[in-house]
Amino acid sequence: MDIIESRTWIEWVITIAKFAFCFVPVLYILLLIPMERRGAGFMQDRQGPNRSYIKIPYFGKIRLLGYVQNFCDGTKLFFKEMFAPAGVNKFLYYVAPAIPFAIVFLSPCVIPWFGPMVFDWGGKAVRISGSIIDSEVGVLLLFGLSSLSAYGAVLAGWASKSKYSFLGALRTSSMTVSYEVCLGLSMMGILLLAGSFNLTDIVSWQEHHVWGIVAQPVAFFCFLIACIAETGRAPFDVAEGEPELVAGYHTEYGAMQFGLFYMGEYSHICINSFLVATLFLGGYSVPFITTETMQAHMGGSLAILCGVLAFLVLAFLHMIYRYSRKLKATNLTHRFEVLREYSLYKICAWVAVAVLIALGVCSWFFYNPENFVVNGFAVGSFATAVGTALIHLLVLVVKSVMFCWVWIWVRWTLPRFRYDHVMHLGWKIILNIALINLVVTAVVAKLVGGN
Amino acid sequence: MRVIKQRPMNWIERLYIFEAIRGLWTTLKHAARGLFRYETLPTISYPEGQPEIRNTYRAKHRLMLRPDGTPRCVACGMCAAACPAHCIFIEATQSDDPRIEKRVMRFDIDHLTCVFCGLCVEACPVDALRMDTKVISFEHRTREEFVSHLFDLTNWDPKDYPNDPQSQVAPGGTKNAEALKVWGMEVK
Ligand code: SF4
Ligand code: SF4
Repeated sequence: MDIIESRTWIEWVITIAKFAFCFVPVLYILLLIPMERRGAGFMQDRQGPNRSYIKIPYFGKIRLLGYVQNFCDGTKLFFKEMFAPAGVNKFLYYVAPAIPFAIVFLSPCVIPWFGPMVFDWGGKAVRISGSIIDSEVGVLLLFGLSSLSAYGAVLAGWASKSKYSFLGALRTSSMTVSYEVCLGLSMMGILLLAGSFNLTDIVSWQEHHVWGIVAQPVAFFCFLIACIAETGRAPFDVAEGEPELVAGYHTEYGAMQFGLFYMGEYSHICINSFLVATLFLGGYSVPFITTETMQAHMGGSLAILCGVLAFLVLAFLHMIYRYSRKLKATNLTHRFEVLREYSLYKICAWVAVAVLIALGVCSWFFYNPENFVVNGFAVGSFATAVGTALIHLLVLVVKSVMFCWVWIWVRWTLPRFRYDHVMHLGWKIILNIALINLVVTAVVAKLVGGN
Repeated sequence: MRVIKQRPMNWIERLYIFEAIRGLWTTLKHAARGLFRYETLPTISYPEGQPEIRNTYRAKHRLMLRPDGTPRCVACGMCAAACPAHCIFIEATQSDDPRIEKRVMRFDIDHLTCVFCGLCVEACPVDALRMDTKVISFEHRTREEFVSHLFDLTNWDPKDYPNDPQSQVAPGGTKNAEALKVWGMEVK
């Protein structure tokens, strides 16, 4: 697993720049929290938090569709007093919340963010893998790291000298252990088909055959359930079941220490959704189009991407205009203030539409880098490689956001399982289905004559 | 005793997974409604948008007026006696009108103590006290300001109660002139 193979400076730059992907889960927190809160609101026919605002000249109170609320809450958590109850183990108590949060920065290192960038640089073919570490044991490393976050919960429960925390920690550890087994086994089918632990290989197998969700629908289902259970969110949040255990392992925590647990949980969702997208939804691969086709028509692909984005912005604009019209007809006393606020969004969105369309047209006509063939491989120019990586990244993000939504959706729909039900589901149902699925896959793969 | 027999779950329901998917579909519909039809959400964004209040809602009190503008209250003290929170304070005095024995000199309702039960309205023998002002928010800086005095209770506009004939009898109302004529007649 050489991180850096050749000596060109561009390769160094990109390899180092890839470390920025470590921050993706943290950025996802910024997306997930508003999504969860407003999504939960909508599902319960509420409006969700939408009152906090930033005041700017002319446009007045800017609420960013309720987004400002999260900054307020973050600031509140950050500036609250940190305290430890009497009799706790000080060192472990303070270290515990940092563990799940630190894992967050390590886990993304094996996820392939884009297909391997192969391009021609000064007559030399350069190949840069899409993950930070292109490891042969990619998936295993990811599982190892993500289950480490259970240590945070266990230590927190142990160190806080509270029976609620302790029980919560016990439940977390048992649940993580049992669902880790299901997770591993349900994923085995797709590994078997792809014949590799390397996530990049798995994705390229899916790109050239079918997506994992088509090849392994049962495994996908088991994997999704086990993933949701592993993050310890409803309906599997027995570890912090409010009716029995106050708040489980973080009962005794407040302020930013609680915030760290909270962010750790959200980042865990992010990582798991990336994992599901990578293993079963073709990762970075664009549906129905192979990377080669895309690279051959680089400008056109970018133009289509810009078109899709412009369409989304136009849909947003339509919503804003529609709602402004309805708002004008009401007799809310603050309606003109809100309309003033919306005019800012309208301006921004129209500018975005114009820019996107301009970019699309430009790339259609002017961004047509030529491709070379070196040693039998199609090797494009640097520009092609960057364009491909960009599209791949966006596709992966869209897929993972879709799965993040599944997490939120499930949480606000299903009631919590009882603890023994969770164990029953894990060990007696999902594990067995995953095992049968694995055996069937192996037999079929052997008969059909795969690898 | 009534025994409610619940239908036993059939095997599809007992599998849970299909029922779970049905539930997910329901929440998805609600989420889509919130996203695309935001204004149909039943929430009223309160201080800017006011809820619709019926006149049967027990809100702040008011004292009804006679055609000549004096309160209808005859200072009998029934409301104060009925009040479970003991928040009505009445002082009576001699009435100027020879036909009427007493009138109120002081009529205070402490809205901090009031539980808005409406018993005072029920108790009043002359329909002098009502709670149909639709005023539901009480914002003041001191405790003293929460006590409504006679002036405050009688200071309402008949135009706010267009459908109530009794309110139109008061000065400024549509039936006032007519009622005043009747009121001024000699009583034999
Ligand atoms: S509403 Fe009830 S508590 Fe309030 S003044 Fe009337 S009788 Fe007393
Ligand atoms: S019961 Fe009616 S008439 Fe008697 S004191 Fe109260 S408001 Fe006046």
